[in-house]
Amino acid sequence: MKRILSLIVAAALTGIACSKKAEEAPKAEPGSERTAAAGIYKDGLDELFKHPKLARADALPKGIQWLTNDSDPVFASPNAKKGGTYYTYMDSFPLTLRTVGPDSNGSFRSFLFDNQMDLLHIHPETGNLTPGLATHWATNKEQNTLYLKLDERARWSDGVPVSAYDVAFSLKFYLSKEIVAPWYNTQYGEEYDTITVFDDHTVAIKSVNKRNLQDLVYYATMEIRPRHFHEKLLDKDWVKNTNWMIEPNTGPYQISKIEKGKFVTFARKKDWWAKDLKYFKNRFNTDFTKVTVIRDPNVVFEHFKKGMIDALPLVIPEYWHNKATGEPFDKGYIEKVWFYHQRPQPIYGVYFNQDVEILKDKDVRIGISHALNIDKVLKTVLRGDYVRMETNTLGHGAMDNKTIKGRRFDLAKADAHFKKAGWAERGPDGIRVKNGKRLSLRVTYGYATHADRLVILKEEAKKAGLELTLQKLDGAASFKAMLEKQHEIAYTGWGAQDRMQYWGQYHSDNAHKTQTNNFGNVDDKVLDPWLVAYKDEFDLKKKAELAHKIQQRIHDEAYTVTLWAAPYIRFGHWRWMRFPDPVASMRSKDATTYPFDGDWGGVFWIDEDIKKETQAAMKAGKGFPPVTLIDTRHKRG
Amino acid sequence: MSAYFARRFLLILPTFLGVTMMVFAVTRFVPGGPVERMIAEAQSMQGDQVRDSGKVGQAALSEEQIQDLKEYYGLDKPVLVGYVLWLKKILVLDLGISTRYNEPVWDLIKGRFPISIFYGTVTMVLTYMICIPLGILKAIKHKTVIDNISSIFVFVGYAIPNYVVGILMLVLFASYWEIFPMGGFTSENFDELSRFGQMLDILHHAVLPLTAYMAGSFAVMTFLMKNSLMDNLAADYVRTAIAKGNDFRGAVLKHALRNSLIPIATHFGNNVSMILMGSFLVETIFNINGFGLLGFDSIVERDYPVVMGILVISSLLFLVGNILSDICVAVVDPRVQFK
Amino acid sequence: MTTLPLDPLTRKKIHRFRSIKRGYYSAIFLAAAILLSFGAELFVNSRALIVRYEGRFHFPTYGSILPGTTFGLDYRYETKYRELKRKFKAEGRGNWVLLPPAPYNAYENDLTEGIYPPTAPDAGSGHWLGTDSTGRDVLARLVYGFRTAIVFSILLLLCNYTIGVTIGCAMGYFGGKFDLFFQRIIEIWANVPFLYIIIIVASIMIPNFFTLMMIMLFFGWIQMTWYMRTATYKQKSREYVLAARAMGASDPYIIFQHIIPNTISIIVTFMPFSISSGVVVLTSLDYLGFGLPAPTPSWGELLRQGTSNLDALWIVSSVVVSMILLLTMVTFVGEAVREAFDPKKHTVYE
Repeated sequence: MKRILSLIVAAALTGIACSKKAEEAPKAEPGSERTAAAGIYKDGLDELFKHPKLARADALPKGIQWLTNDSDPVFASPNAKKGGTYYTYMDSFPLTLRTVGPDSNGSFRSFLFDNQMDLLHIHPETGNLTPGLATHWATNKEQNTLYLKLDERARWSDGVPVSAYDVAFSLKFYLSKEIVAPWYNTQYGEEYDTITVFDDHTVAIKSVNKRNLQDLVYYATMEIRPRHFHEKLLDKDWVKNTNWMIEPNTGPYQISKIEKGKFVTFARKKDWWAKDLKYFKNRFNTDFTKVTVIRDPNVVFEHFKKGMIDALPLVIPEYWHNKATGEPFDKGYIEKVWFYHQRPQPIYGVYFNQDVEILKDKDVRIGISHALNIDKVLKTVLRGDYVRMETNTLGHGAMDNKTIKGRRFDLAKADAHFKKAGWAERGPDGIRVKNGKRLSLRVTYGYATHADRLVILKEEAKKAGLELTLQKLDGAASFKAMLEKQHEIAYTGWGAQDRMQYWGQYHSDNAHKTQTNNFGNVDDKVLDPWLVAYKDEFDLKKKAELAHKIQQRIHDEAYTVTLWAAPYIRFGHWRWMRFPDPVASMRSKDATTYPFDGDWGGVFWIDEDIKKETQAAMKAGKGFPPVTLIDTRHKRG
Repeated sequence: MSAYFARRFLLILPTFLGVTMMVFAVTRFVPGGPVERMIAEAQSMQGDQVRDSGKVGQAALSEEQIQDLKEYYGLDKPVLVGYVLWLKKILVLDLGISTRYNEPVWDLIKGRFPISIFYGTVTMVLTYMICIPLGILKAIKHKTVIDNISSIFVFVGYAIPNYVVGILMLVLFASYWEIFPMGGFTSENFDELSRFGQMLDILHHAVLPLTAYMAGSFAVMTFLMKNSLMDNLAADYVRTAIAKGNDFRGAVLKHALRNSLIPIATHFGNNVSMILMGSFLVETIFNINGFGLLGFDSIVERDYPVVMGILVISSLLFLVGNILSDICVAVVDPRVQFK
Repeated sequence: MTTLPLDPLTRKKIHRFRSIKRGYYSAIFLAAAILLSFGAELFVNSRALIVRYEGRFHFPTYGSILPGTTFGLDYRYETKYRELKRKFKAEGRGNWVLLPPAPYNAYENDLTEGIYPPTAPDAGSGHWLGTDSTGRDVLARLVYGFRTAIVFSILLLLCNYTIGVTIGCAMGYFGGKFDLFFQRIIEIWANVPFLYIIIIVASIMIPNFFTLMMIMLFFGWIQMTWYMRTATYKQKSREYVLAARAMGASDPYIIFQHIIPNTISIIVTFMPFSISSGVVVLTSLDYLGFGLPAPTPSWGELLRQGTSNLDALWIVSSVVVSMILLLTMVTFVGEAVREAFDPKKHTVYE
């Protein structure tokens, strides 16, 4: 067993250009190197296809119309230069090099995850599908199956070709209990009907649901896992055994050096199979990317100002306005970028637990909505950078109901609604009372750094005769309290979703019980059928209509108050780090934080000449004109 | 006397069991354990920054799945059964595997030893090196200018907790004047430095935290030294020696000093555990990856095997250290009788 | 002083204490600071001291809030007195407002558009020590934080000593199995990482003033118990106790009439140190984020803010300086008390 393991690891390592010292990975035994020209891995296929959700077929159904995309504009810059090292940081060392299973969901995960190419990518400008591991795609008439032709050139980092069996195996992998990732088990189990392999490079993925093409690609594709690497390891010790193994990947970089607790270095694959393909050319330019652990945000900033890291996100207002000033900025060594985009936003909101007697009353909820001075928070501690989140989606294009305006701080309206609900009198401390009970509610939250925002809301709410007591819990503990519906008002954020989902948070099936995301215990018979219909709707236009109706209802009934969003990427970078024009796209993530992202990552390059020039200038005390780029072409409103 | 110490050593056992059982039980009742943490993480809810969530993770888990996760982390058994299982492993010196790092707890702890021992020993050596002479000086020069001025510093050092000293120095010397680094054990480019450069680098990083570490124990030791020396100087035998015509210097060195070191010796045992445990607050402020910070992080991250592992080591050190103190006293002062 | 029936020994001790100047003056200063902090609402407050409106006096400092309508304003929440003062001044109709010297309370966010917190100290705005990261007055938070910490420490001390003296005396006096049992308990207690208990409680309920005190009490009683045990042990074997017992005195009588009065010096000498350790523990917990809930003013929370906003030197320096002052003075008092109760006559050789 051990021999096989080291064989596999050795195979994984030989594909890397610069893998001299992968210190923490198990060492390869001499003479066990595989040649890079290995063929498709076909061992144990019969065993694989015994899985109930996997099948083999000889011929494709008739009438399949293959699609591809080679006509969208190129977005990477032709001026990009190869070479150099991109220095960046992480706040803690990853707990594992796995990307699934326990503790794999840390901030380092994207570095690994993004180096596994997607089956299909999305063009950052047009939003159309572009080739990834698959060159061609098609759907059937029933709109529940995605046919894919894999790129025959695609290779794992150990030289083994990517094949349809890897796709099939990946489903088996995600459904297995051994990976200790129940969410994958559930989600993929409910989504995937079968995967059928036609030949080495042609595969059909059948979904349980009927979906339009974009949704089908979104829901019915997954990260492909190397079968030749995982299959033999997939037993009850998989989590433990693969914890520090370097998995073969298909993307532009692979880990070349690790020092535990300190840094991880990625090296560019010199002969990466996709390097000259249309949408990947002139991207992923630096030879190395070094990710160093710096725990303390103050120290991160010190390192950045000294040029020890090349770029730093400056989304937080205090960073942009206060800290990112002084010599390196004034002298133009560090340039600042503020780019408004239209990506889906995380949803920060307060959720009224309607199992709490006071909050059952719609007028109380509306009253509270008017008693929250969100504008004041936006204009003061958030410095007017963030915008008000008007409804519970933002950045979903046509799916957003743009007619809804969030309720503003308005003491007269708050007063009217509280009065209507019977909270007319005020006690000696100015807080409203009704039958001897004070209008006092507990707000549970888990983000220590948001205390300053909540404190302002609390102070302002007093004016409306509403007392909010703040209950700060540790992150995981606060989420547990909310899942168990122990809160009165929950203050929480939901990660940005590419596709908005409402059912889990608002359907009555999830109300009045623990372990569900319906933090409001919303139990609304009007809303229920819409939520179900939205989930299953296939036509994008009808789906948008349903989404608008749902959002309107949530607003009208004041089930939640959504708070703020930062619809931009904002960072500082040393002037030797160059970007294409424009520096970002409306759909893209921040390339400095996600340097390997398949859709947009790696568009920057390090210009060694400018680096030398800058360093010489710094020594001589000379400066350059300061640069602050603010790009508002995708700004709303 | 050996019977006394034998009994003391035997009594370690029930204390050790009591401590570990209590904390073990507590870990089981703390909300936000590994399973809940995993659930929160799946929703991208971890930490203060909400990250983009993938398509996976929106679904709620079934009871059965949660039970599976509990089993994975070994949290599915009743408290007492779990404790007995844990204890059995301890008996064969197996501290278990960290639920956060998937590594043996012992390896994690071992990894922190060098840094902690470095800071611990240097602090202790420096403390003794400064406090004993300073204490003697202050005793001899009692109520003089030197005594009064040094007293003020010692008092302030004694009064404020060492992490506040750390913050103060961080603000002044690292942030404001930028003389010393903000924290860490070594620089980024440590590996590229020469041997001498590496030493300098470690020292450069060590100045502020060492001062903070010393601030507290420094004052206590100095006063201890001073007061006990003065007690002895007032004792009859010293007076007699001086009356008999011995010079003062000789009397101090020959007679008083030896006896004055007794209380310092009793402190030695406590310092042994200090070497390892340090102060997690100082380590947090200066971002030093020592034993204390590991302990604090493991509590915050609910890494129970590590918490228990550190507890085992620290409580054993503490208990043994106390006995060690008494042995020291017995060695230094033959008059002391333990029964 | 002379009217108090003090025995000569105690009077001597007090006299000795007064002769130790730095301890004595520290004690006076601290006592004054504590007393003043109980009336902090009169010095540091957003409520006015006196409002003269339409020929009538109002004293808003204590009691119910006075809604804006009281003074002819158009809102029903608490009057903004600083604005009212400007308004009255501008009108010049003989109405006036007398504000405290620091016209802010510890909770309100003094935020104006275009000026972002934290703001530097500025006498013109009345923020003598600047504002923190949400625009709250640092001085106000410092003063009210001091009051919280000191009250907390004193109450904690009373509880700790009550338990400590009771159990400690009992251990020392009765000895045997009882003593051994509590010895083990104390050893276990001393080893329990008590941050844990705080996290548990914090996640079940908001750790308010009293729950936090209960938790600290849970771990704080052992020190005094230990000292009292040793002291009782010593006293028990003294002749007068043996004599009392021989004369048939009951156990409670001996404990309350003989042992406790004779160990009182231990209790008194430890008091200042217990107070400073109470302040330190509460501050550390707040610093780590496991203490009193936001937005309670506290020194630990200010320290936290100070270290994360190192540019805003006024936050960290005002709290660090206050801490150094307070704790050093408490220590001075402690040393003086110790000296007064247990004087060491040193032989000085010239």
